[in-house]
Amino acid sequence: MNFELTEEQKIIQATAREFAEKELAPAAADLDRGGDRKIFLGNLAKLAELGFMGLGIKADYGGAEAGSVALSLAITEIARACASTAVTLAVNNLVAEIIQAAGSEDQKKKYLRDICSGAYPAASLALTEPCAGSDSAAVAVTAVRDGEEWVLNGSKIFITSAPYAGVFAVFALTDKTALKGKGISCFLVEAGAKGLTIGKEEHKMGQRASATNELSFDNCRIPADALLGKLNSGFTSAAEGLAGGRINIGSLALGIGLAAMDYAAAYSAERAQFGKKISSFEAIQWMIADSYTELEAARLLLMSAAAKRETGKSHMKEAAMGKMFATEAANRACYNAVQILGGYGYTDQYPVERYARDARVTTIYEGTNEIQRLIIAREILKSI
Amino acid sequence: MKILVCIKQIPDMASKFKPNAANTWFTETDLAFRMNEYDEYAVEEAIKLKEKQGADPSDLVVLSVGPARVVEALKKALAMGCDRGVHIHDDESNLKDPWQIASLIAAYAKKENFDIIFTGMQSQDRGSGQVGVTLAGDLGCSCVTTAINFSLEAGVVTAKRELEGGAKGVVKLKLPAVVTCQLGLNTPRYPTLPNIMKARKKEIAVLKAAELSAEGPRAVTEKFYHPVKKGTGLVLEGEPAALAVKVLELIKEKTTVLRG
Ligand SMILES: Cc1cc2nc3c(=O)[nH]c(=O)nc-3n(C[C@H](O)[C@H](O)[C@H](O)COP(=O)(O)OP(=O)(O)OC[C@H]3O[C@@H](n4cnc5c(N)ncnc54)[C@H](O)[C@@H]3O)c2cc1C
Repeated sequence: MNFELTEEQKIIQATAREFAEKELAPAAADLDRGGDRKIFLGNLAKLAELGFMGLGIKADYGGAEAGSVALSLAITEIARACASTAVTLAVNNLVAEIIQAAGSEDQKKKYLRDICSGAYPAASLALTEPCAGSDSAAVAVTAVRDGEEWVLNGSKIFITSAPYAGVFAVFALTDKTALKGKGISCFLVEAGAKGLTIGKEEHKMGQRASATNELSFDNCRIPADALLGKLNSGFTSAAEGLAGGRINIGSLALGIGLAAMDYAAAYSAERAQFGKKISSFEAIQWMIADSYTELEAARLLLMSAAAKRETGKSHMKEAAMGKMFATEAANRACYNAVQILGGYGYTDQYPVERYARDARVTTIYEGTNEIQRLIIAREILKSI
Repeated sequence: MKILVCIKQIPDMASKFKPNAANTWFTETDLAFRMNEYDEYAVEEAIKLKEKQGADPSDLVVLSVGPARVVEALKKALAMGCDRGVHIHDDESNLKDPWQIASLIAAYAKKENFDIIFTGMQSQDRGSGQVGVTLAGDLGCSCVTTAINFSLEAGVVTAKRELEGGAKGVVKLKLPAVVTCQLGLNTPRYPTLPNIMKARKKEIAVLKAAELSAEGPRAVTEKFYHPVKKGTGLVLEGEPAALAVKVLELIKEKTTVLRG
């Protein structure tokens, strides 16, 4: 058994940490309060230049070919400083991996290069709809073939990066008569496509620098070759990618949780009450012990899922476990961090309230934790 | 042009350092290591020089003395843009004095005839600031220390130096030369991820320290210890305006935050 990272993984982790500390952390609080989005996009461009937008993508298509473990490590380090940047990076890598897995040679050449290089500020995954959230197979956006084109109609909701995405992986119903989930296909829709409107941006509790918008398709015509993978197999094409996405969201949550506890533990060693540092109180020590233990357990689960993914082993269950456990551990860590800072933790003079808000959505998006539990149970029970 | 850059891997300076069993240095157990910050500037300057050579074939070698762990620092330098690595394997390098380290590097460099050698001005952990200059002496090269600006035209190095009290000086020297680099000399680049992965294919030659030099120490570290903590901090008193001036002076004198 070997728990050591490779030298390359360590260098990637250190590079991500240094970049996050120097470039992302100083801007994160301001961006959370509605600061200039140009700064946010500028940081994404720098990350693309360094190769963070296609970590698992083959070098032939402009990627770093660094693997799933390195991707998980990088997202954790970035999320320690700025969760909004981390989620954008996670979604870009997710879309890129889906294209790499299911795309034609032309699609890979065309889109992967632009995602990896930062020519596209971001890429979006458009699955969720007002009536298809957890029940994602209830997708009602339709795609109808008309000559050499597909015509899309309907609307999507909660789409990360929509206003600055260069390409959208859109899930749409292509066979209404098929069994539920069996008639859905995935399409690559370029920004600016006629009939695609980027709707209003949500005002969110956290991860506020990252845009989350509605999309509407109104007779949006895209070429026949915009179909990604096989017709009516949208979910099959994306399943592998989505499992990786779960590892990445778990890794993101881990980063937020660590940032919160690192801050709170250091604070507890400075703050004195009753003539003693509050870190000398057992109640505080227990919160520190519990949270760091849970975060370490989360890290190990995520690393093991990522290592399985990287070596081509099945990891559906492990990815869901890692996502579920890490996001809940991170939320408890943030809750504890605010508690350790007392009233100060509840103000925006300290970063822990932002961490707590940023962590909250991680149990919801990329499949709610209830859905992760269904996946885990399904994976376990199907082998009995 | 043959260029050498010498780097050291040092512990994260925010670590808690514990003395080793002999109380002569710190123990490495549980420490995380990274490239000495001064050396990052040396690597960047060496890469910039190599890039300026354009079509002229240049050979940029990065060298580190130390145990197996220093390969990570070498790989980072290779990912940043060095051509090949030399690892002088020495499990006891952290106990060696600057003379011994310089002797090891010189034993290798003598045979290679480098035109120019970059090192950090000092290491963040031992901080002797002697390896670069001793190496220059050993090789009979000219040497400039604490460079904050560097150029090389027609075989002449022009370097700006930082002098005491904020003054600056400019020196010119002939090749072969050793340049020890101060913080702020340039902006060290981040290695890109594709280059980190590609650097796996770059050569790292391993040399055994014992086969290069058997020099003994000239300055033996007798004792490593933490000074006794003084209870109180510094208390300044007086008018706010005068206090502000005093605080600014203290920051300039005692810290690096205003250096530039
Ligand atoms: C900030 C943000 C960014 C997002 N980014 C994207 C994006 O880029 N692309 C995209 O496609 N989507 C995105 N989403 C959407 C996200 O994936 C969905 O919000 C999520 O899948 C849940 O769907 P829902 O909001 O409709 O909740 P619902 O499905 O309505 O769920 C409500 C509650 O019911 C529970 N529930 C539902 N079904 C079951 C069940 N069978 N058993 C037990 N409990 C159940 C849920 O777990 C949840 O607690 C984003 C969401 C947010 C908030």
